[in-house]
Amino acid sequence: MIRRVVVTGIGTVNASTAGGRDALAGALALGRSTIGPVRAFDTAAMSSRLAAEVDEATLASLVDRDAARRLSRICRLALGACFLAVRDAEVAGGPGLGIVVGTEHGDFTSSRDFAHGFLRRGPAGLSPMIFPNTVMNTMASIAAIAIGAKAPSITVNQATLAGDLAVARGARLVADGRAEAVVAGGVDELFSDVYERLAQMGALSPMGGRGPEGCRPYAADHNGPVLGEGATFLVLEEREAARARGARIIAEITATAWGNVPVAPHTGHAGCADSGSPVARLIRGRGATGVARCYGAGNGDPAVDDWERALLGRDLAAPADLVPPISLAPLFGQHGGLGALRVGAAALDAARGTSVVLVHGIARGGCRIALVVEPAA
Amino acid sequence: MSRSAARDGRPDVVVSGLGIVSPYGAGVKSFWSGLAAGACTIKPITVIETEGFRSRIAAEIPAEVIATLGASRRRSRADRIALAAAGEALADAGLEGAARTETALLIGAVGGGMLEGENWYWEIARGRPSSGMGALRSILPFSHAETLGWRLGLTGPKETVVMACASGAASIALGADLIRAGVTPTALVGGVDALTHICFMGFNALKLLDPTPCRPFDRDRRGMSIGEAAAFLVIEDAAHCRARGGRVHARLAGYGMTTDAHHVTAPHPEGEGMIHAMQGALDAAGLAAREVGYVNAHGTGTPQNDRAEALALRRVFGEGGVLVSSTKSLVGHTMAAAGSVEAVATILALQHGLLPPTANLEHVDPEVPFDCLPVVARSADVSAGLSNSFGFGGQNVSLIFVRPEVGEVQPKASRQWRGEGQPKASRAD
Repeated sequence: MIRRVVVTGIGTVNASTAGGRDALAGALALGRSTIGPVRAFDTAAMSSRLAAEVDEATLASLVDRDAARRLSRICRLALGACFLAVRDAEVAGGPGLGIVVGTEHGDFTSSRDFAHGFLRRGPAGLSPMIFPNTVMNTMASIAAIAIGAKAPSITVNQATLAGDLAVARGARLVADGRAEAVVAGGVDELFSDVYERLAQMGALSPMGGRGPEGCRPYAADHNGPVLGEGATFLVLEEREAARARGARIIAEITATAWGNVPVAPHTGHAGCADSGSPVARLIRGRGATGVARCYGAGNGDPAVDDWERALLGRDLAAPADLVPPISLAPLFGQHGGLGALRVGAAALDAARGTSVVLVHGIARGGCRIALVVEPAA
Repeated sequence: MSRSAARDGRPDVVVSGLGIVSPYGAGVKSFWSGLAAGACTIKPITVIETEGFRSRIAAEIPAEVIATLGASRRRSRADRIALAAAGEALADAGLEGAARTETALLIGAVGGGMLEGENWYWEIARGRPSSGMGALRSILPFSHAETLGWRLGLTGPKETVVMACASGAASIALGADLIRAGVTPTALVGGVDALTHICFMGFNALKLLDPTPCRPFDRDRRGMSIGEAAAFLVIEDAAHCRARGGRVHARLAGYGMTTDAHHVTAPHPEGEGMIHAMQGALDAAGLAAREVGYVNAHGTGTPQNDRAEALALRRVFGEGGVLVSSTKSLVGHTMAAAGSVEAVATILALQHGLLPPTANLEHVDPEVPFDCLPVVARSADVSAGLSNSFGFGGQNVSLIFVRPEVGEVQPKASRQWRGEGQPKASRAD
């Protein structure tokens, strides 16, 4: 029997809003960019100065103060969004609940703090309390304990597409019967050291100092991504089980595929064709059945933007209507939760009647993904 | 057809290729020779500074082995051993053409290229100029998948799984799910971790490292010994493997994956999640506990892990109901690679009818009511083996491998790997 996967909850903590499905719908409808000058640290000596930051007061309101004292910021972001998603879906913890967390950078703040302890005081300066946070699955571990997720707890690490990949893997777990429900999404925080190094390496807008700093996906004058931070998680369930418990189903994820376009690490360009990844096969098959709306992973990085346009132009049956795809990066900044936010936006579109929504992504290094979201039957 | 496939109609999953770079050296042959001999590789560390730490030992891949790896020296240590192990696995499987191109790639990883990144960070944090900032490009775990996906020309699903010490085992399990779901017929799955300062310092800070080589299940055990390795398996739809004349090392009969949801660093005291993972694997395989003859334990040598694992084993197999050993006593705890290293060890044990021992085990803990195969490998005709991997965050993965039946074993179709990462000595063979 085929197990169909539906979205029954959304939780998001981002630079624009924090809340469930209604909060996300409101932020998308508002369409206001949250990108502004970085407040968390001094960027005066850096070549980049913009970001989309989550307000600390918003975050503080989501996680119990005692618990928050023991948690790093990225753990609080993940935990806050997971709580909101579980509340939105009204789903309970237990042996049937799993969690999948996607992240690009993980908890580098804790890694830095841990290393600094050693550099300042030698072995005596090392904190056993901080060390566990340096392992990238710490956000999933903390969240699993908090929401009682005893089915698989998985962390996936990926550039640009961490959130999309986590949702696709979560849907796979439900479809395969590995879990009855999965809380799946992504998270990243804005961290000064990462920001500074990426700026130094020319990985952020304005890449190479060309033009004004800003996030302008697919535009002629795009010149790099602008970082954001936040967490977005979806609750995915097997459709019949969700119906049986009276869940408020938002949409159905009817297909997922992810694959690789072999290119050198950290590279990618419009000339790299996808000769046959599962994603190309899915989109070419779907192209004939009418994609009505398409979200993309374009974030202002010319390599990603141009590559995505080229790939979709080749694979979609009616690319003129859908390419360039819609990018949410100008609203929320590039971060590990953005992919899940894209799928959440697609689910809300489907709930409003959009027939077939494609969520697509390509990352430097060749990871490619597609999810198809449709109204729940 | 296995009992599991007969039940649900999904494809059986077989293991058709193995590859490893371990503290014994590069290649499955050296790995098995070391395990069979019960040779402990845990020695004083040379790749990182250890002055002032309680424990100063680990199972390192010898410098002379690293030097023979053909991959570019600009790559991280972890990327280099991963390329060599993955290349050996693909060559062993004899995967070529479209069958290779469409192969999925799932890598369990934690440290990424952290060792090289740390070296850069150490210099600038101490106020010294460093030209090594390029190392940061490979610092994240997903960089292994980027490197391997590119160099090996794979276009199937690509994932980097970070589940602490269960990462390698999880990559095998999740790859098997893709095959059983019909997403891909073949997957290159495994794990890699090189020694890093942060790992060494962290486990020292937690006082989880034994100053002497680890003694899993020993009454006097004082902690674990870390190690480094890369190990990969090619897993495959059994029918696909049969059709192309591939070799079957073993069947991956089932797996279980659970979460304790109890504590970030400590296992559930009653081994609750471990029990469910092992029982889930047995159920998926359609096997009774008595049909499993060997458990390659997670067996880190920490008081907490070994106690909880022994409790869980007793609940699942009954007192003395199965032979148990920990190969971490031989090659150290290789972190994200451990699950795949131990999967390879389990498969080789079934193939050779020889169970690797638990090194350094002198006085078995009375709370461990099992024959833990102390010091010397033991001949045993075992048809099914279970490999346990547990990680920080209470993540539990149990894999069950079954020795192929006589008709399933095909003539070996393997080719020599001649790509980047292959040890030079092997190329000249």
